[in-house]
Amino acid sequence: MKPKSESLSRREFATHAALAAVAAVTPLSPVATDGLSASVYPQLPPDAPKLPAQSQAEAEARHQAILLQYPDRFSDAQKADLKRLCFVLQPQLDSLRLWPVANSDAPALYLKPLVEREKKTNAAPNLKSAPQSARPEAVTKPSGSEKH
Amino acid sequence: MITPDILYLSATELAKRIQSKALSPVDLTKAYLDRSEKLGPKLNAYAHLTPDLALEQATAAEKEIGRGHYRGPLHGIPYAAKDLLATKGIPTTWGAKPYENQVFDYDATVIENLHRAGAVLIGKAAMIELAGGMNYRFASASLQGAAKNPWNASCWTCGSSSGSGAIVAAGLAAFAIGTETWGSIICPSAYCGVSGLRPTFGRVSRYGAMALSYSMDKIGPMARSAEDCAHVFAVIAGHDIKDQSTLPLDKAAFTYSPSAELSAKPLRVGWLANAWKQVDSHAEKAIQAAERAVRRMFPGTRNTSLPEGPFEAAGGVIIGVEGAAAFRQLIRSGKVAQLADPLGQINGYVNEQIDAADYVRALQVRGILQQKMEALFDGFDVLAAASQPLGANALDANLETDLVFPDPLGGIGNLCGLPALSLPCGFTDQNLPVGLQFVGRAGNDLAVIRAARAFQQRTDWHRKHPKLA
Repeated sequence: MKPKSESLSRREFATHAALAAVAAVTPLSPVATDGLSASVYPQLPPDAPKLPAQSQAEAEARHQAILLQYPDRFSDAQKADLKRLCFVLQPQLDSLRLWPVANSDAPALYLKPLVEREKKTNAAPNLKSAPQSARPEAVTKPSGSEKH
Repeated sequence: MITPDILYLSATELAKRIQSKALSPVDLTKAYLDRSEKLGPKLNAYAHLTPDLALEQATAAEKEIGRGHYRGPLHGIPYAAKDLLATKGIPTTWGAKPYENQVFDYDATVIENLHRAGAVLIGKAAMIELAGGMNYRFASASLQGAAKNPWNASCWTCGSSSGSGAIVAAGLAAFAIGTETWGSIICPSAYCGVSGLRPTFGRVSRYGAMALSYSMDKIGPMARSAEDCAHVFAVIAGHDIKDQSTLPLDKAAFTYSPSAELSAKPLRVGWLANAWKQVDSHAEKAIQAAERAVRRMFPGTRNTSLPEGPFEAAGGVIIGVEGAAAFRQLIRSGKVAQLADPLGQINGYVNEQIDAADYVRALQVRGILQQKMEALFDGFDVLAAASQPLGANALDANLETDLVFPDPLGGIGNLCGLPALSLPCGFTDQNLPVGLQFVGRAGNDLAVIRAARAFQQRTDWHRKHPKLA
């Protein structure tokens, strides 16, 4: 059963757009400019991955966007954990962005497995755009036993 | 008197006795219900038992068979369905507190198909909340509590089809239905020492199933043998106009005849050298023995490797974004805080923040990967590797920190919608089951069934079962 789809009112859309805009320009240091206390932006837990400066800034921005969108929702421990999770996510995104894809590489949007009949009609133009040797090795997410 | 030995027979063997009227579906159902009432709560295996419905269906099956109307190998066979499949008038909790009172007024297509085949629903199997869609840190991430492994109750069954694994391993039903987005059939099958089939994406209708990842969710059987999986798959596979993601009729339907294997060409098997970076020392011997057995059974088996790329990352991003979309209302309303798991309570907020451009890039990477896997399967019918690099972990393990390892085969297999079958292949030195998996080209579910059947015709790991009080 699919959950009921949620419609977004104009007002909600405007609110979300404003929040997104705020997130985009919010300073990345915990020095808040919006009156939020420093505890809203907790320190990075020691087990969070070390990231390059640009990736760290992006992870920080993601964390701040969550806290701006839901200012009263989380405990301090959850805020710290959210920050760690934002940092854990970042290497996955970085590895995806590093992987060369061409404009012609169409997204497998709604998965259609390549069964026999379709195989014949699917040439491999995608492979030409970036030969295997040119593709960097995966920065694998340690997924372990978290099964879905 | 139906003894536990009977309850541990494969569905295929039970069917022969039912067809010949040597075994009563009503007696069999009562025996499974009795055992489920006794052992189910100890293992946290069930969300609900459905005794009234089960006895009604079993009685109908017995009458029909008595009149000479035998529907096929699932007629009168009791099973459990993961509690994310809609069942008319029976609670369907999705394993999660916010949905504990949810009741649908229709049956999922899979439930309908099994009913049409005469199978008997004896209960809804416990599961990880929302099938792990918001992620989870502990085995206790379930409305029913942590599912305990019948081989060792201080160990987990793996998830998210946790109850389905426990039910089959403990002999509480002849088979169970599980689902997999990433690992949720293969891992519980391995941890619990049962056979589990993850079908090609689009062969089994998901109508009436909880959606977690619209482009990666799959439904499949968990049973006592590959042959059982094939019989169940033949019933639940097929195009469904209610599910636009199902494949066309000629590609979705599956028919199975064991005798057809006799004339089939030998399988070309590739042993995956890079499926796991490291194997746990307790499981090492069993996995090495399984590899030797595969090479003996399938002469010409060659080593091969999975393509390398950010495929796990792509899978993680797709599941994260699609899960955040599927449960948007739950997240935004704050009701996600009612989930049992501390990680599940907050991870959806992070996934909501993933850029659309990153999601599309993950889909582009998937398209490229599909082509690469097609090319790899030009040389092989199936790829083989250990299902997991270890046996079942402790119930209280922190999955985020204690069990961290890359899973490229799970990522690639699920990202491309490839079929896979996990089957028992031995035990760790702590007497916990170890699984072997065969993975096939999209649409070639028959190849993974054939490979697993061949393995099980020459080994008896799948006939072993835990001693339960």
